[in-house]
This record gives sequence, C-alpha cells and structure tokens, in this order.
Amino acid sequence: MAKVAVKKKKKITVFDVVNTIVFILISLLILVPIWKVLVDSLDLRTSYGMSLWPKEFGFDGYITVFSNPTLYKPFLISVVTTVCGTALGLLLCTLGGYVLIQWKMPGRNILAGLLLFTMIFEGGMIPTYLVVNKMQLTNTLFSVIFIPAINIYNLVLMRNFFEGIPNALFEAAEIDGCTPMQIFYKIVLPLSKAALASIGLMFAVTYWNDYTNFKIYITNADLYNFQMKLRSMIMGSDLPTALGGATENTVKNAAVMVAIIPFMIVYPFCQKYFISGMNLGAVKE
Amino acid sequence: MKKTKSANAAVAAPKSTLKNMQKYKGFYLMFIPVLMFTVAFHYLPLAGISLAFTEYRGVKAPEFVGLDNFVRMFEAPGFWTAFLNTLKLSVVKLLLNTLMAVVISLLLNEIKNMAFKKTTQTIIYLPHFMSWVVTVSVFSLILSPSQDGLVNTLLVNAGILEQGQEIYFMGSKDWWTSIFYIINVWKDTGWGTIIFLATLSGISPELYEAATMDGGTRWHKIRYITLPALSNTIITVLILNLAKVMNLFESVFVMQNDAVIQQADVLQTYIYTQTFNSGALPNYGYTTAVGIVKSLVGCVLVLVCNQISKKIRGRGII
Repeated sequence: MAKVAVKKKKKITVFDVVNTIVFILISLLILVPIWKVLVDSLDLRTSYGMSLWPKEFGFDGYITVFSNPTLYKPFLISVVTTVCGTALGLLLCTLGGYVLIQWKMPGRNILAGLLLFTMIFEGGMIPTYLVVNKMQLTNTLFSVIFIPAINIYNLVLMRNFFEGIPNALFEAAEIDGCTPMQIFYKIVLPLSKAALASIGLMFAVTYWNDYTNFKIYITNADLYNFQMKLRSMIMGSDLPTALGGATENTVKNAAVMVAIIPFMIVYPFCQKYFISGMNLGAVKE
Repeated sequence: MKKTKSANAAVAAPKSTLKNMQKYKGFYLMFIPVLMFTVAFHYLPLAGISLAFTEYRGVKAPEFVGLDNFVRMFEAPGFWTAFLNTLKLSVVKLLLNTLMAVVISLLLNEIKNMAFKKTTQTIIYLPHFMSWVVTVSVFSLILSPSQDGLVNTLLVNAGILEQGQEIYFMGSKDWWTSIFYIINVWKDTGWGTIIFLATLSGISPELYEAATMDGGTRWHKIRYITLPALSNTIITVLILNLAKVMNLFESVFVMQNDAVIQQADVLQTYIYTQTFNSGALPNYGYTTAVGIVKSLVGCVLVLVCNQISKKIRGRGII
C-alpha cells in the first residue's frame, strides 16, 4: 500500500501539466493589466502601444503626483480618513462585541436585536443623506469617517472571536476586583490581536477604497480623497499638469499605481489576516 | 446553550433585575457610543422614510401627497429600466462569479506543488482589494480606444480590426454589459474561492483513498466526493449574495457614462442621479420612495431565500 502511495505522488499526468498551464494563464490575466499600468507609469513616451517594458524610463509621473498639491492633498486626506476611521471602527466593534458576550446582562438580547435589525432594514441612501445633512456633517470629513465606522457585520465577527476567550479568565479578573473596562483593555484586547489585525485591515481597505460616501457627502473639491481625484482624472474631466518629462498619460498611470501601492506593500505580510477575517465570518457553517 | 442560560437568569431573578443592572453599569456605559452611532446612522434614517409620502419643498415644510410618488415612479420608464437592469446585472454577475469560483477552486485543489498553489492564490486574491475606481481605471487604460490601449492595439496588430476602427469598449452599448461581467469576474472570482477551498480542505482524505482503492478516476472523485461536499457551500454563498442583489451601486456607478445609460442604470444610480444631478430642487420624496421599493424587493428576496434555505438545508440563514 505504501508503495502505491509513493508511486501516485511521483506520477505527473497530462492533467497536472494542463492544470499548471491554466493557472499560469489565469495569473497572467490578473497581473498583465496591473503590470501594464505600472510599466506605462514609468514610461515617458507619449504613446505606449503594446510594450510591456518602459522604453523611456523615468519617475516623473510619480514626482508629479507627489509634488502637485491637487494630487498629494487628496492622498493625505485618504491617509487621515483611513487611520481615523480604522481606529474608530475598531473601537466601536470591540466595545459592542464585548458587551454582547455578557450573556447574563439584563437587556443584552434587546441590545443585540437593536443592532442586528439594522442588518436587515435600512433607511437607504437619501434618508441617510438627509440625516447627515441635518447634523451638518456633509462636506466635513466626519461624515465619511463616521458612517463606515459602525459596521454591524464586523462587530458580530468581533463578538464571535471574543466568545472564544475562556470564561475562567473573566471570572478570575472579576475576583481580583477588575472593573469591566479594566478587563476589556487588560485581558480582552491583548488576547484578540489576531482579530484586531484581521478586522482592522478590513476597515482600512474599506476606508482607503471609499468612493461612494465621498461622492454622496462631499461636494467640496478640497476634501476629496485620492479615489475621487483619480476617478475625475481618468474620466478626463480634471487633467493633471504634468511635470518634467511626464505626459498626462504617465501621470494618470502613476496615480493608479499610487492608489494600489500602499496596499501592495502591506498585502504580502498580512495575507493570512485578510483571509482569516474572511473565514471568521464565512466558515461558521 | 448560552441563550437558555441568560433566559434562566432573567426568570430566576425578576426582583433583583435592578440590582443586576447596577452590577452591569460599566457595560451599559461602554455600549453608549455603539448605540449613539447606530441610532444616528441607522435608526434616524429609518424614520426618514416617511418622506416618501411627501413632496419636498425646500425650506417650507414638506407637503403630504399620499402615494403620488409611487404612482409617478411606476409610470416612469427610467425606473423600470433601472429596476430590470439591477436584477439582470447582479444575478448574472452572481451566477458567473460563483461558477468560476467553484471551477477554479476545484482546479486549485488538484495542484500538488504547495509553493505554486500559494503563489497562485496570492495573485488571484489581489484584485479583490483594489477599489472599484482603481479597477475601472486600470481597465479604462487597457481598453482605451487610442494608440495606448493594449487590447485595441493587439486587435489591430492581429489584423482583426483596422487602424481607426478601434472599439471604445467602455462607451459602447454592445460591449458595456459584457465588459461589466468580465471586470467583475476578474476582480472577485479569486476571493470567492476562499470559502470553497476551506470546504474542500475539510473533506476527509480517507474518502479519496478509498475511492483510489476502488479504482476511481480523478473525475469519479470530483463527481462523487468533491461536488456533493461543495453543494451546501454553493447554496449558502448563492443565498447570502442574492440578499444583496438590490444594493448594486459602486461597481456600476464608476463604469457608467452617458452613452450606455440604458444598459448601465441601476436603481441605486437612478436614485443618485435623480437626487443630486437633477439640476432643480432635488425631490427627496420621490427618490426616497424609489429607495423603499428597492429595500422592499430586497427584503422579499431575503425572505424567499430564507424559505428556500430552510427547505434545502433544514435551517434558515436569519
């Protein structure tokens, strides 16, 4: 039997070869569009055609993005909303998740129901806009930071994670005279680093990629984030003034890359957190 | 288990509830920020749906008009275009994405070289994290009808198109819908495989070994072991996503342009343009009404899915 198993492992069938080729092709299909944009962002010619390697290499496109205030200001706004939003989102998720695991707390089920109800029924785009407008939050960064921060789905993920913390730890801390708040930041948070990383990354991606909320709540062009700016550039309604040897197209390509690069840097190191965040929610079946 | 525990606690000590609440004072305080945000951004808007029965009149108080907004909506051809487009685009997208994800996870599962498998996975998950703006920007540049567009240049060089006949894929009525599906598959198929791969890794290897002993081929194993194990996950994924069908917005919105509005208007974009791009005083009442119809259809879909789920799997999803 052992012999059979060894034999099986060594045998490379036609299927395996074809399968490998299929996946190389799929990977190319995904990488080539991104690669093409990267190459063009480093190519200073006016017309690129099919080349998959820069012919007139230069960083002028990127220099333009980071020296032109109409381009680097939106970038900074993206950084600010991502940092603040992720922090606020995590705060609300952990507080809510922690309260929801207090099974003996009077009213616990009512509070849980109150949160879960919002996952099924929502006011919709216009009523939400009118409420935000009434609170005078439109055209301020508060609107785009506050609204994605209260994410019930992430809150439930956090609660699921907290449930895995052994009850004995809470009891021991209580006997030692810890207040709920002390238990929260001395026991719950330090034990939940993996969940904080996963859900924090989910929030960060949401904030960095946010376009819809800016489109709805922000009309003041000084407060646009990078996605808004990128969109109007690509649509051609707002062409950048290129510096040095860069052409308009080089700057467009460079701007697309700038929107992806922060994520590309983090992704290889954090891939397992991204995926565990997905599995935390999905594979509870 | 836990639910009964809490129920017992409530029954056992009705008199000391107040005392009990005193004990949990700290927790109630911690819940206040969560409650504030939930009320402000979920419950206050919910109260605002009464606006659907009024005519918005700027600074003056809105006037009650009964069901006028709904009548107007059902008579508006733009509404029906958007309604049907929403259903068509999101359902076809959902089916295509799920089918592709299943096929790709089955094939990925057959790869024996772990390093190659990991690299492939890293690459195919990548587009999921790009925003819609970036994704559509990348494709706009690749599909551009000028000399710079990779695809058009390729077609011209291959002799399929003649110089000057380049196709403006993003702005062509005939092409837009297909391009929309292609971009969606490109972006989210890889990510969709995660849940199927997790299910696949849960299948006991003994089953495959037994099949090998009985002389089963690779196809037999897929047909009789792998696919039945996946079917439950496929149904879950389909049902959970069917509930989100009506919310289609950003992906369509950033791909839209005036030339393809007949193909590319969905309910959410219809609401947006009717409110913010109408030029005159925005009629919030009308667009709120459209929003209500959208939510109601979404709700019905959720309930129907829940029933189907109960029938097929013996339990609901909500």
